[in-house]
Order: sequence, then C-alpha cells, then structure tokens
Amino acid sequence: MKHPARIVALAVALVVVVLGVVLALNVGNDPEQDAKQSHLVGQAAPAFDLPNLSGGRVTLADVAGKATIVNFWNSWCIPCEQEAPALQQFYAAHKDDSDFAMIGIVRDDTTGDVRTYVKDNDVGWTIALDPQNQAALDFATRGQPETYAISPGGTVAAAKYGPMSSGELETFLAAARASE
Amino acid sequence: MIRRWGPWIALGVVVVIALAVVLWPHGDQSSAARAQDLETQLKCPECQGLSVADSQAPTSRAIRSDIKRRIAAGQSDEQIRQAYIDKYGDSILLAPEDSGVSLLVWILPVVVLALGATGIVFALRRNRDEPHLRATDADERLVEREHRVEDTVDG
Repeated sequence: MKHPARIVALAVALVVVVLGVVLALNVGNDPEQDAKQSHLVGQAAPAFDLPNLSGGRVTLADVAGKATIVNFWNSWCIPCEQEAPALQQFYAAHKDDSDFAMIGIVRDDTTGDVRTYVKDNDVGWTIALDPQNQAALDFATRGQPETYAISPGGTVAAAKYGPMSSGELETFLAAARASE
Repeated sequence: MIRRWGPWIALGVVVVIALAVVLWPHGDQSSAARAQDLETQLKCPECQGLSVADSQAPTSRAIRSDIKRRIAAGQSDEQIRQAYIDKYGDSILLAPEDSGVSLLVWILPVVVLALGATGIVFALRRNRDEPHLRATDADERLVEREHRVEDTVDG
C-alpha cells in the first residue's frame, strides 16, 4: 500500500460515482408522485360489503359484469363539492347504459349529513357508507375524492386521487370497458 | 506493541459493543408493543409527514385497527409491513427500507464516514512518519558557497 491516501481518494470517488448512478437511475421515481398513484391498477378490485342509506347492502358482487365507477367522497369535503357537477353530468349521460354502474362510497361522515346531501343534490347513483373506513383502507385511499374504474371482470382499470372532470370520468369508463 | 495497537483495540471493542446493543434481539414483544412499533413506521396516507401512530385521520384510525387485527391473526411484522407496501407503495414507510437500493441510504453515509476517518488516519500517520528534512552535504556546500559569494561582493 504505497499510496494509501490515493486509494482512499479513489474509494471515495467510487462511492460518489455509485451514489450518482443510483440517483440517476431513481430520478424518475418522484416519491410525491408515487404517493398519489394507486398500486391497485391492474389488480382485482377489493371486495366490499357496505350499508346503503335505506338499510340494504352494497357489494362489489352487485356490479359484477358492469363497467363501474367507484367514487370515495363525503359531504364536507370541498374538492368533492367541486367535483360534484362533473359526476352529475357524467352519471346523467350514462345512467341508462346497461353495462354501467356508479357507486359513491362515503368515508368519514355521518349518515344524517350524507342523507341530506343526497336529497339536496339529487344524487341518483348508489351510495354506500363506510363507517369503519374499511373499504377506504382496502382501496388504499389517501383521502377524498378518489375515483376508481373497475372493469366488468372486477379489475381496477384506472384510479385517481383528487377531483375528476367529466372528460376524465369518460376516459375512466372507457378504460373500464376496455379492461378484462 | 500495546502502545501502538491499544487505541485500535479499544475502538474495536467500543464498535462491537455498540453493534451488539443495537442489533441484539429484544425478545418477544407484546402485541400492543408490536402494533405501536408498526404504527410509528407507517406514514398516515392522508397527512403530511405524520405517522399512523400520531395521526387522528380516519385512514390512520382504520390502519391502527387493521394492524391489531393482523397481529391477532398471527401475521408477522414483516408480513404486515409488506401488505401496506403492496397497497400504498414504499411511500407508506416513514423511513426507507433497509434492503435493495434503499439500503444504500443507510450504508453510504457509514462508508463515506469510514473512508474519511481512514483517510485522516493515513494522513496523520504519513505526517508523523515522514522524515524531517535535513540538509545534505551538497546543501551545506551550496550554502557555504553562497555565503562566500556574498562576502566577496560585500568585501
């Protein structure tokens, strides 16, 4: 070991190069972006069995064979309110499609407030309550609104965290219909 | 010999004891302690920088219940952690994983520190071992000649 200082310098340089390569390879992995992406896309949609507003149940099996939009929301969430007109417009355009279903799953809200909201805003699609946040957890939601497109075969075809436009809802429905 | 290697042996003993304290298995934890431990490792999915243990968000409450349920069902800590990584991705962990590429985050600072310390040790040793410069006969003659030249010029 004639020049230990040179060897150490070389080793440090090597470590720096390795670090640089690792950083360069991971530069596309934005943790913030990753945190907003659903890892469910392409996988089977989580099964759920939730109460609705009239004492019945809403299950994933109910919509088997249909392209389904599942929207997590609640009555006090401002982005959900911003999204509401797009949901209304989208639902009005497709409610008579035989291969289509839409379910709003309510997280972190009271039944009374949800009932009032549904009545006041003339919400026509199926509403399910998730009092234990179990469905929200199974779908790995990060808040609300959060929307999933489920194929007739039960696969999650698309997902988005945040308010949807009617155009995005159309894209989601097309993705659900195209997926197995 | 002891004078030369003594500090290194002492340093080695300290490092071994520190590693033993950190890495020694802590025995079986209670279910509550395991749940608490896992809750502090997972990030609240709908908060900014809060752990599931520290958050009162609905999802965090649901995760806390789910962790207890999974522990009661006999799942290991690793299985529970992996279930959440599968659902949410690595971003659900408050600290990076200690495997794969993420392992570099833990190892690199230690490697850089070790290399830096080694470099300092080598630099100090080289400084100590390097012979002090002594004038050779040729140097002495050169200086003498210069003095003579100066005397001649002055005289």
